[in-house]
Amino acid sequence: METIITILLIFFGGAVATYFLGKISGMLRNIIFLATLVIPAWMFFSTISPDMVLELEILGIDLSIGITPFSYIFAIIVLGLSVIAGFYAVKAMQGKENLNFFFANYLLTIGAMMGILFSLDFITFFIFWEIMTWSSYFMVVFTGKEVQKTGIRYILFSALGAYAMLMAIVLIYTTIGSVNIGDFIDNFHLFPTNLKWLVSILLLTGFAVKSAMMPLHVWAPGAYSNAPMSYTAIFSGALSKMGVYGMTIVLIMIVQQIPNGYWIKEVIAWLGGITAAIGTLWAVKQDDAKKMLAYSSISQLGYIIVGVAIGTPLAMLAGLFLAVMHGIFKSTLFMVVGAIERQTGTSNLTEVTGLIRKMPWTFLAALMSIIALAGIPPLGGFISKWMLYESLMGSNHYLLIIVIFFSSTAAFLYCYKFLFGFFLGQEEKEWSHVKEAPAMMVVPMLILAGFSLLLGVFPGLILKPINEGMQFLGYVSTDNRFWEMSMIFNDWGNQVVMQPIFYTIIAIFLFFLIFLTIKGYKTTRYVTTKDISSSGEIPREEENLTFSIGFMQPFFRAVAPVMKRQMSKYYTGFGKGMEALFDFTRRIYTGNGQTYALYLVIFVIILLLFRDSLF
Amino acid sequence: MVGSPVFLIAIPLLAAFLIPLLGMVWKELVRIVPGLVLAYLTFLSATLYIDVINSDTIVETIAGWRAPWGIDLVFSPLTGFLSTIMTFMGFIVWLYSYRFKRNVEFEAAKKYFIFLMLLVAASVGIVITGDIFNQFVFIEITGISAYALTAFYTGRNSAEAAFKYLVMGSLSASALLIAIIIVYAQLGTLNMAEIAANIDNMNVEYRIIAMIFFIIGIGVEAEIFPLNGWAPDAYTEAPGPVGGAFAGIVVKAGIYAMVRMMFTLFNISGPMQILIIIGMITLIIAETSALRQDKLKRMLAYSSIGQMGLVLVAFGMGTQAGVFAALFLMLNHAIIKPMLFLSGSYLEFNTKNKYIKEITGMGKKMPVVSAIFVLGALAISGLPPFSGFWSKLSVLTAAADENMILIITLVLIISLVEIVYYFRVINRLFFFDYDLEISVEPHKPGWNGMVALFVLAGIILFIGFYPSSVTGFLDLAARDLMDTHDYINNVLQLGQSIIQ
Repeated sequence: METIITILLIFFGGAVATYFLGKISGMLRNIIFLATLVIPAWMFFSTISPDMVLELEILGIDLSIGITPFSYIFAIIVLGLSVIAGFYAVKAMQGKENLNFFFANYLLTIGAMMGILFSLDFITFFIFWEIMTWSSYFMVVFTGKEVQKTGIRYILFSALGAYAMLMAIVLIYTTIGSVNIGDFIDNFHLFPTNLKWLVSILLLTGFAVKSAMMPLHVWAPGAYSNAPMSYTAIFSGALSKMGVYGMTIVLIMIVQQIPNGYWIKEVIAWLGGITAAIGTLWAVKQDDAKKMLAYSSISQLGYIIVGVAIGTPLAMLAGLFLAVMHGIFKSTLFMVVGAIERQTGTSNLTEVTGLIRKMPWTFLAALMSIIALAGIPPLGGFISKWMLYESLMGSNHYLLIIVIFFSSTAAFLYCYKFLFGFFLGQEEKEWSHVKEAPAMMVVPMLILAGFSLLLGVFPGLILKPINEGMQFLGYVSTDNRFWEMSMIFNDWGNQVVMQPIFYTIIAIFLFFLIFLTIKGYKTTRYVTTKDISSSGEIPREEENLTFSIGFMQPFFRAVAPVMKRQMSKYYTGFGKGMEALFDFTRRIYTGNGQTYALYLVIFVIILLLFRDSLF
Repeated sequence: MVGSPVFLIAIPLLAAFLIPLLGMVWKELVRIVPGLVLAYLTFLSATLYIDVINSDTIVETIAGWRAPWGIDLVFSPLTGFLSTIMTFMGFIVWLYSYRFKRNVEFEAAKKYFIFLMLLVAASVGIVITGDIFNQFVFIEITGISAYALTAFYTGRNSAEAAFKYLVMGSLSASALLIAIIIVYAQLGTLNMAEIAANIDNMNVEYRIIAMIFFIIGIGVEAEIFPLNGWAPDAYTEAPGPVGGAFAGIVVKAGIYAMVRMMFTLFNISGPMQILIIIGMITLIIAETSALRQDKLKRMLAYSSIGQMGLVLVAFGMGTQAGVFAALFLMLNHAIIKPMLFLSGSYLEFNTKNKYIKEITGMGKKMPVVSAIFVLGALAISGLPPFSGFWSKLSVLTAAADENMILIITLVLIISLVEIVYYFRVINRLFFFDYDLEISVEPHKPGWNGMVALFVLAGIILFIGFYPSSVTGFLDLAARDLMDTHDYINNVLQLGQSIIQ
């Protein structure tokens, strides 16, 4: 019980302490920072069990804090990722300016996310939600790039979502006289029908912004790629899941109760599907790895939304499992880009090539995460995608399957581009000085990559908490019935039925690897890319044999009509129009005293004319 | 008892007249005496306020003439609350400008402090008086000292701004006078309580005309659209602390006068369309104009106007919750906006044209002041966990109680605009790439200014984390405003009277 308060206090106290102790010494700051991450995580996993509730009262409103089995799943993601990414961040940010601020803000975000998960009433929820928003905003603008454009876009959309949510909260409070989320769910059937629709749509809008759903996603590419990579690992990995968290609760507990609310779910599912497809297309087009991963995050969040919105037990399982998996592999990839950027100074896929020998461990982490992302067995991404397809078929969403299938096939393109661009291809002199990233950065990446393998092989580890969380949402327990739900699992869900096949394949592969290595060891000669002759001609030093620019041109010609209409253009146009309008209102204040006196006279006349209707 | 409400007006007036004489004795007294006076006023007001909350409203008759014949001062939970904020903010402004004016020559400093004292005294007078003609006099004194303070820098621009203010002020004063004349001709009294008691005897047509002229008369001080044309100029051209004083003290008095007129004088109950409409228009026009400003103080001025619009909307709901929310907003605004003005004027102290783009990168040079500015910006745009959030929340819940969904939507959309322009400044302060030339040397803040800023920041954080620490006071004040009957009884039958 008190543990929850203690955890929150540690996070916020730790943030303050990190900032001020950092003025004394950087070492001290790092220690406090890591302690603030590790101690609450340890406390959480050792003492907290779901279903704890604590009541408070502020401003005459009853507030309550506690943890439910459902928020427990997300707490695992947040705490797990933040600890691992925290170690990475300490090394990755070394030598940068303003670190006290960075680390303090980092802790604020984590604390706020935990607060969101702990809050059982809307006011506490909203307070932490907003703390999360502005602390993450400061991280988006931290690097100082495109501050007014990306930063303002992020804060504007976040505030839009938050205010939609606030409006819903206010309406709920006046209707049932309580801000308790449980009370709201219980009393929702008493709401008038139009209010039911309004409240659910407002809440969904609020959450859709954070989970980067079409058409509210335009802030995401800039924000994800502008923040420091060690923060984006959390930003994309954990923070976006807060939107999924809220959206799931709304869709399952609230929308379910609306007659015809089924349509909301369909619409959300379709929006998720379109998000997935469009996000993928844009990801393929990017040459900057950060932007690519940002778009890829958007599209992966689209899958999660599809799963959650379809809402059959299997779809929900798939969505939540993918949420966990996406947290793991996407933060690994962002860390990889961060490491490459730190070592080479750029994150452009077309510039950096052939790092595989220079940064082999980073490559390993990237490879595993890419495999997970692409949904290739035996890593975790495969299982979640399989479940998603199966659930879509089971619920007769055949058109949606096509969209999803298209996007996950197209995802291979950028997966390939990512691996090829950075790690494979011709080694160039320019990058010959590049060294492997420091161990403190590589180890967290490898740990996370290991997790995606672990969960791919033993999905039961995370399916257990997800199962409990789904029971809290009102689903029938799936324990020991996993086989009925998806043919991919064995009965207990802790293994995948295909595993014997995988093991065999892996064993054969390893055997040949070892066999060939031993056999060919003596005759092995390391060759460079130029160590060939083509058509009897030996390529010269400066000749380029591999190309990493302008990938997939025919593909883009094919999908050009879809990509021509870009959502952000409409928003920019709208924003420009509004600014022009505001400029017009500004001109009401002419700065001329005579005009103001005239206004006064006109005002008198208007009041006198309309006195009957105004008073 | 440390004193009576009349001291709140008499002592600063007396001090204002004595300051030039004291200045002849020792020049430093010109700076010190106002501080002592304002500190005493804050202390006095707070003590009386606590007294009032624990027992009953203090009604003081002046010169032995009982109401309704004489002038009386009403120190109730509402007026006590406002006068305490005002005197406190007066003290903060003094604290901030104590050394700020050291580089100004003696004559200028003398005038500045005299007018500051008058401004505070008259604003408090507007709030605690129980007589409309007396209120008119105080509004005039406030106006005159405000014009003088606006023109403090004696440049072309400040003179122009002061002149505009003067034009608007005198036009409105004549409107106010007309309103008072109408009321007096109809009811034969100037005492607020007696007017309120007899308002039903007044001809309806006259009543409405009087109300309109009241709105015009007070609207200039309360910064309602379209009578607020003077405000952006005055805020921009006046010295920073004066801007703070306008936002924290003068406007509050104006709003109070407006609301007292509507709620008590004309005894309207239920939602007041006129306040909601005017407030909403003021809010929308001011906030959207603020987005397109390129001067910092001008932006803050528009934001201040906008907030006042929101306050009027909340008052206009005419419910206990609405009044509570409005008072909460006033409290927050009275603290946050001066803080923004004070820290903002440090930031742009040495810039040439006072443009926002000139303070780019100031976060590096003046981290603490910039951080305080950011705190104020976050608080005023209503982000939790700072104090502005709670007031915005109470406005929204009050509106939702009355089923005003359109108003909720508009207020939230306008809040988006507010967030955009404040965050643009925050970005400039801290997060810009440094390649842009920053030639401006920061002005070194004095210890007194920093103390003032820290006190305000502390209050914002405190209210943000413990909103329940002020809600009790606000609740009493709101109840006091709503209960006209009680007001009339208190004044006319002299609840707890002191006769001098």
